[in-house]
Amino acid sequence: MAEVKSWDEVYAIVLKHVRDVLPELQSHAFQPSDSLRELGANSIDRADIVMEVMETLSLDIPRVELLGPRCIGELVDLIHAKLGNA
Amino acid sequence: MSVVGIEAMNVFGGTARIGVIELMDHRGLDTKRADNLLMVERSVALPQEDPISFAVNAAKPLIDALSPAERDRIELLITCSESGIDFGKSMSTYVHHYLGLNRNCRLFELKQACYSGTAGFQMAVNFILSQTSPGAKALVIATDIARAVLPEGVELSMLRNSEWGYAEPSSGAGAVALLVSDTPRVFQVDVGANGYYGYEVMDTCRPVPDGDVGDSDLSLMSYLDCCENAYLEYAKRVDGADYASTFQYLVFHTPFGGMVKGAHRTLMRKLSKADRQSIENDFNTRVMPGLDYCQRVGNIMGATVFLSLASTIDRGDYSSARRLGCFSYGSGCCSEFFSGVVQPASQQLLAQQRIDDGLNQRVLLNVEEYDQLMIANRPVRFGVRDLTLDPHGDRYIGAMAKPRPLLYLSQVAGFHRKYEWVA
Repeated sequence: MAEVKSWDEVYAIVLKHVRDVLPELQSHAFQPSDSLRELGANSIDRADIVMEVMETLSLDIPRVELLGPRCIGELVDLIHAKLGNA
Repeated sequence: MSVVGIEAMNVFGGTARIGVIELMDHRGLDTKRADNLLMVERSVALPQEDPISFAVNAAKPLIDALSPAERDRIELLITCSESGIDFGKSMSTYVHHYLGLNRNCRLFELKQACYSGTAGFQMAVNFILSQTSPGAKALVIATDIARAVLPEGVELSMLRNSEWGYAEPSSGAGAVALLVSDTPRVFQVDVGANGYYGYEVMDTCRPVPDGDVGDSDLSLMSYLDCCENAYLEYAKRVDGADYASTFQYLVFHTPFGGMVKGAHRTLMRKLSKADRQSIENDFNTRVMPGLDYCQRVGNIMGATVFLSLASTIDRGDYSSARRLGCFSYGSGCCSEFFSGVVQPASQQLLAQQRIDDGLNQRVLLNVEEYDQLMIANRPVRFGVRDLTLDPHGDRYIGAMAKPRPLLYLSQVAGFHRKYEWVA
């Protein structure tokens, strides 16, 4: 069962997995408005990040429900809502 | 009586190919992280090649190896494709003609994006299992091309740094022919061991005759969702199935290698809780043998999962019998996980088709030649009524070292296609 997390906690978890998948961004100063695509993540990288975030949060939903966000902040908004914080 | 599967199979990957990284560079695409896409080359269809010529060229050696009595037992011929040339008339009718098969044979075509080959295969398997015509054989040919055509009004220079053709580097051309019968010398199906999973999703499609439209992120997510759920359904039906240990090899529908690597990693994490390094080792052992041909031909849609099966059989170690788990996905979508057994003798039989040699014999194009083909391909658009081509004088067809005569499109007259054998 997914645990309820604050927006900031979800944001921190997303950034951790972005850095895991894209180690070259280790020292990047992230903004919620950053786009993963523009940071150099291809579709495989983006799917990996989403998978790892879902796993960390024990979020068990179809992956297709996490499509649409255009930046990291929007992805956090969506995941935060899916965790029951809507 | 429940023995069924693939008696013989063959791959035809066309006459020409191009290097994928070179093509991506030419289009101004970022190749910095291209290594993890695991793509090498793709086949390129010539104007004289269409899904019918590909299908016949894949199946011809299988038919030639049969006695006349065996050939006459082919009672079902299914073409599986999303590249059809007519909304009514099935490509199987042309294939039937050029292969010289018995007229007491069911001829039709079916479609469900990249799942079509599996759909046709499963229908053939059930035809054999039903024993309504004992001893009959079925010929299933998955054949697909993504023809590189420069749209009217578009200049070649406009393709650089554009969103045009997101799938251009990964789309191939080719066909895989499967002879399905009750003597499964190449791949014996585990009867009833099937997990299927499908739903409506608009990920990639062909809403117009000569163009693909797609959302690569949505398609990837849907593929991953299906990969997991089709396997879970399989595991529900097969006692004791274990993703990490039941299958010595895993065969995937392969749009491009990187996608398969991501899917395998996802499933191994989820189903076996394996760590990063053991997943990497497992990928190299169980999955890589199936990627070789796919990395060289590109995505041939309905035929891709069987291209990967052929690669797995040719490239694996069969010192004893092995069980293969196969995952098929077609956008839109429908998917299936099924399994079967390959014997040591199966590998020797498939080796007779010399698939690897056939892929090496394709003519390697440079990007300028490829761009010129995009213009040369314009007249072969869907719905062409009249057209004359010269397969005998073509420089690429002439340059290919052919171990046997191959069939090429020579004419379209009042929509009717005519083909000629070129030695």
